[in-house]
Amino acid sequence: MAAGLLAAGALRMTWEIPLTHLLRGQELLPPRLDTGTRERIGQTSSAVALGGLRTLVATFLNLRAHTRFTEQRWGELALLFDTITDLAPRTRYYWETGSWHQAYNAASHHLNDSKLPPLRRREAWRSSIRAGRAFLERGIRNNPDDWRLHAALGFLLTDPNKIPALRDADDCFAAAAEAYRRAAEQPDALGYVRRSMLYALARVDGRQDEALALARALHAEGARNHTPTLLCLLLVLESRADPRLDTGRRAIELFGGERRAYDALCNHWRRTRERFPVDGVAAALRSIEARLGIPESESILKSPPPAPFDPDQAFGN
Amino acid sequence: MSEPVPAVEIRHLVKDFRTSFRRRPLRAVDDLSLTIRAGEVYGLIGPNGSGKSTTMKALLGLMAPTSGSCRIFGKDSLKVDSRDEVGFLPENPYFHKHLTGVETLRFYGRLCGLRGRALDDRVVELLDLVGLTDAGGRRLAGYSKGMLQRIGLAQALVQEPRLVILDEPTAGVDPVGSRGIRDLILALRDRGITVFLCSHLLEQVQEVCDHVGILCGGRIVREGRLDDLISIEDQTEIVIRRAGADLVERITALVGESPGASIVRSGRPRTTLERLFLETTTGKEGGA
Amino acid sequence: MNAHVPAGKRRGGHVVRILTIGAHAFTQLARMKVFHFLALFAVLAIASNFLNLPQHEGPESAGAAVLRSIKSWSLGAMTLFSVVIAVAATALLIPKDIEDRTLYTILAKPVPRIDYLAGRLLGVLLLLFVSLLAMDLLMTAVLQARTAIVLGEQRDMAAALGWPHDAVESLLAETRAAGPGWPLQGAVAAVFVRAAVMASIALLISTFSTSTLFTTVVGLLVYFIGHFQADARDFWLQGGEAGEGAAARLASLALALVLPDFQLFNVIDAVIEGSVVPLATLGRLVLAGGYYVVLFTLASWFIFAEKEI
Repeated sequence: MAAGLLAAGALRMTWEIPLTHLLRGQELLPPRLDTGTRERIGQTSSAVALGGLRTLVATFLNLRAHTRFTEQRWGELALLFDTITDLAPRTRYYWETGSWHQAYNAASHHLNDSKLPPLRRREAWRSSIRAGRAFLERGIRNNPDDWRLHAALGFLLTDPNKIPALRDADDCFAAAAEAYRRAAEQPDALGYVRRSMLYALARVDGRQDEALALARALHAEGARNHTPTLLCLLLVLESRADPRLDTGRRAIELFGGERRAYDALCNHWRRTRERFPVDGVAAALRSIEARLGIPESESILKSPPPAPFDPDQAFGN
Repeated sequence: MSEPVPAVEIRHLVKDFRTSFRRRPLRAVDDLSLTIRAGEVYGLIGPNGSGKSTTMKALLGLMAPTSGSCRIFGKDSLKVDSRDEVGFLPENPYFHKHLTGVETLRFYGRLCGLRGRALDDRVVELLDLVGLTDAGGRRLAGYSKGMLQRIGLAQALVQEPRLVILDEPTAGVDPVGSRGIRDLILALRDRGITVFLCSHLLEQVQEVCDHVGILCGGRIVREGRLDDLISIEDQTEIVIRRAGADLVERITALVGESPGASIVRSGRPRTTLERLFLETTTGKEGGA
Repeated sequence: MNAHVPAGKRRGGHVVRILTIGAHAFTQLARMKVFHFLALFAVLAIASNFLNLPQHEGPESAGAAVLRSIKSWSLGAMTLFSVVIAVAATALLIPKDIEDRTLYTILAKPVPRIDYLAGRLLGVLLLLFVSLLAMDLLMTAVLQARTAIVLGEQRDMAAALGWPHDAVESLLAETRAAGPGWPLQGAVAAVFVRAAVMASIALLISTFSTSTLFTTVVGLLVYFIGHFQADARDFWLQGGEAGEGAAARLASLALALVLPDFQLFNVIDAVIEGSVVPLATLGRLVLAGGYYVVLFTLASWFIFAEKEI
C-alpha cells in the first residue's frame, strides 16, 4: 500500500514537473526564483497557501491600505502594498496605486504638510519618490507585457516635480523614453505612447537626431499625431538640426495658420518646468508676432517664463 | 445422489480482536464449526458477548476470520459473489431516515442489479409481504421500531436470496410486531428459504427454529434438532379439557398402580403472558 | 415468489452500483440541508456588488475594480465552500453509515467495497458539481449585469471627457475582458477539480480515521501542506546540487511523493487577475486532478478492503 502510493507518486512526478513548467511558461503560475528574490515577488508562503483566495485577501488589504492612506501612515501603507502585490502580482491596479501613493501622495505630504525638520523632510520626499519608482519597476518585472505599467513609469520619470528627487534629468528622460519604447512594443498599446516616447527622447541631450527621426515618422503617420506638442518639438528638432531654418515660416506651415502656430509656440515657450528644448522657438515667435502685428512691448518673450521646480526653495535651504 | 451444498458451512472459525498493545488479543470466536442445510431455520443462541454477531459478520464477509473459513452455498464469504444468495438484517438497523420505504427498497434492489419493471414489481411484492403497502410512501423517520424491522426484512429479501441472516430480529419490538416477524420467518421457511437467526430471546427461537446451536464463550456448546434437544425422554404430558375431579382421581389411581410410574405435577396449565397480551391487545387468539 | 433467477447473472455492473450509491449519497447530503449555504453565497455575491471600494484612482478604473471584487469574492467563496464541503461531507458519510449500520446492509449485498467507496465519492462530487454550477451561474449573472452597467458608465465618461476613439475602445475591451467569459469558467473548473481531489483525500483519511473531526482536521492540513508539495519537489530535485542534508532531502521527497501538488490549481488566482488558461492546459489540469482522484480512491480501497466493520 505505502509502496504503491510512493510508486504512484514517483510516476506522477513525470507529469507534475512538466505541467508546472507549462503553467509557469503560460504565466499562470509565478516563476520559480531564488529564495532571496521570491520573498518579494508573489511567492511568499502565505500567498501560495491562499490558493483561490489571494485576490479576495488582496481586496481586503486594499481597503485597509485606503484607511492608512487617509491617516497618512506612509510606512505601513508601503508595507501593505508589498503584501497586496505578493497576493495579486498580476493586477496592474495595485502596482499603479502603490507606486502612486509613494511617489505622489507621500511625496506631496513630505513636501507640504510634514512636521519634520526641513532636511529630514527633504530626505523623506526623495526616498518616497524613489520608492514609488522602484515599486513600479518591480511591477513591470512581474508584468513585462503590461504597457500601461511601462507608460506609468514613463509618466513618473517625466514629471518635472519628481525629477529633482531622482538622478539628473537626462537619465530620467532617457529612462522614460525607454519605458515608453517598451510600452509601445506591446500590440495593445494606445497611440499616445509613441508620442510620449518622442516627448521624453527630445529632452535627452545628445539623442535629438533619434528624436527628430521619430518625430518625422510620427508626423508622417497622419493627423492623429499632429498634437501641438509634437508639432512644436518637430519644429525645435528641425531647427536644431539645421540652425538656418526659417522657423517662423516652418511653424506656420506645420500648424496650418499663423494664429494656431503662435498660440502653440507661446505655450511651448512657457513650459520651462518641463525642460522641453526651445531651439528656434524665440525666432519663430518673433517672426510670427511681426506678421500678426503684435507690438514688441506685448511680446511673449518679454514676460519671464516660470522657473523650474527647485527643491532647495521648497525645503527652504 | 450426492449431498446437496449446505446453505452455510463454517469450518474451524477463529476470530481474535486486538485490544490494546500490551494485552493478549481477545478471542471472540474459538474454533467454531457449523453447518446449516438448505431449508432449515437455524437459531444461534447465546448470552451477550458470546460471539454471535462476530460469527454473522464473518459469514457475511464484513470481517476476515483469523483462521478457518465460512461458505455460503459453497462460495467463500470473502468473495463478493457469496453475497448474491444472502439477505441480511442487522440488529436495530437505522436506514436513512430521509428515504421512504419504497425508496429504501429501490435503493437496495438497484444495488443487487434489479431495475425497471422487475424492480417496481419486486418492491410492491415485498411491501405486501411485510405488510407495509400503505406506509411505503412515508419517510422512515416516521416508522415505528416494528415497521423498521419489517422494512429491514424486506430489504434483506430484495434479490430473492436463498439464505436470510437475521441478527436479533425482534430486539426492541413490541409483542405484536414481534409476532408479525415470527410469522414472516415461518412464511419464509414455507417458501424454502434458509433462515439463520441469532437471538438471545429463547422463547422466540423455540417457536420458529428447527435447529439450534448454543454459543458460549465463542464455542458451540450444544447443537442439534430443537425437538431432540429439549424433549425430556422419560416424561409424557397429557393436557385434558374439562376434566372433572373424579376423572383426575381415576387417572391418579391408574398411575399409582403402574410400577415405576409417578405423577410429577398436575394442575391447570398457565397461558403464557405473551398469549394473554396478544389476546387482549389484538382480540385474536395467538396460537403458534 | 418468482422463478429463481441465478442472482449472479443479474447482479449488474460496477457502474450501475456506483451510480446508485452516488445518487443515494447525494440525496442524503441534499436532505441534510447542505445546500443552504448557497443562500449565503448569493448574499456574498450580491453584496460584493455594492461594496464601496476606495477610489485611489481616476474614474476609469473604478468599474474594473468592482468587477475584480465580484470575481474575487465569488471565486474565493467557491474555493472555501468547495474545499470545506468536499472534506466535511466525505468525512461525514462513512462514519455515519457505520453508526447507522447502513454500511452492513449495503456491504451484505453483493457490492464490492470499491463500488461503495467510489459511489460515496461520486455523491460528494455530484454535490460539489451542483453547488459550483449554481454559484457559477449566480456569479456570471451578477458579473454580466454589473459589466453592462460599467460599460455604460465608461462610455458616458469617455464621451464627457472627449476621449479619442481608440482609447475608449481599449478601455471598453479591457472591461469586457474583466467581465464574465470562458476564462472564468476555466477557473471554476479548476476549483471543482481541486475540491474533487480534496474529497478523495478525505475519503482516504476516513478509511483509517476514527472520527469525523480527525478526518476534517487532517484533510484541511493536507490541503494546506499540499500547496508546498511543488517546493518540496524542487528542493529534492535541486538538493543534490546544493549539497543539502540527506535527511531533509528524503523528507522532502516523501512529501513530494505522497501529497498532491495543489499549487497547480493556483491558476485560479491568475484567472481572477485576468489571465486566460488555454483549453489544452485546462485539459491537462483536469487530467492531473483525475489522476489524483483515482490514486487516492484506490489507496482508500486498499485500506477499506481490509477494514473490519
